[in-house]
Amino acid sequence: MTGDDGGTAAATTVVMLPLLLVVLTGALELGVLRAVASRVVSAADLATIVAVNDQDHGELARTGTLRLAADAAVAAREYFARNLSSTAPALALSPADIAASADIATFPAAPSVDPRTGVRYDHPTLRLIASVPVRTPGFAALLMPAVTTITIRAASSPR
Amino acid sequence: MTRWRGEDQGLATLETTLMVVILVPLLFAILEFGSLTQRWLAQDGVAVQAARYAGELGGDRPELRSYVQQQLRLVGIEPSRVIIEVEPAFVSWREPVRVSLHTEERVTIPFLLTTKIAVRSTAVARGEISR
Repeated sequence: MTGDDGGTAAATTVVMLPLLLVVLTGALELGVLRAVASRVVSAADLATIVAVNDQDHGELARTGTLRLAADAAVAAREYFARNLSSTAPALALSPADIAASADIATFPAAPSVDPRTGVRYDHPTLRLIASVPVRTPGFAALLMPAVTTITIRAASSPR
Repeated sequence: MTRWRGEDQGLATLETTLMVVILVPLLFAILEFGSLTQRWLAQDGVAVQAARYAGELGGDRPELRSYVQQQLRLVGIEPSRVIIEVEPAFVSWREPVRVSLHTEERVTIPFLLTTKIAVRSTAVARGEISR
């Protein structure tokens, strides 16, 4: 009887251990991916806010209207790269490359509709959409892709 | 029969001991690293807000330090344990300003290790004051 129990326990362990390791690895990698995604979203949010905070002062003084600066998209791209740099070890491309390939659009007149997302903006807006490749070695160990691409979107308006 | 029961009890004790030694560190690792990640992301959020405020104030000011300390307290981080760096100390219009928050978090996993892990959050904003 004890021998039978021992055999059953060993078989259960042999079957369950790989399954548990797969679940554990997947859960850890998903957690890391979520943390990286959160940091990337923060970087995009800050980049768009920085870009729209830089107002066209001449226009503001003359008309009292808040407008985007002419180089708002350039500023957003630059600050997106700068803020991504602290997450760089987890990324499969350099922050500069990710920022360079980001789709950044400005909508200086309001109201306007974003042709890509269909979102209507009631204020002048800067919108950033980026595909960010993240290294996922845990998924690779489970024979899944070694790089997972997350797509993030951020938009800001001067208020 | 008594001999069999004795062997079973011995085996159960051995199994329990092994499982406690494996499961307790695993459980504490999940809790400790989950908590560490939560504090890291919370600190990140404070760094982002601090960078924006530093851009608004024009650099490293007492108001910024007190704001960071207040925000850290709100997310459950003891401010006295956090090193705050603002570069440059004075920032002009359109110049980048970097705020870094650095802390060492203690991680304790029974039967395995006790260590300190450096948690660093950095955010870069832009000066909004025309000097």
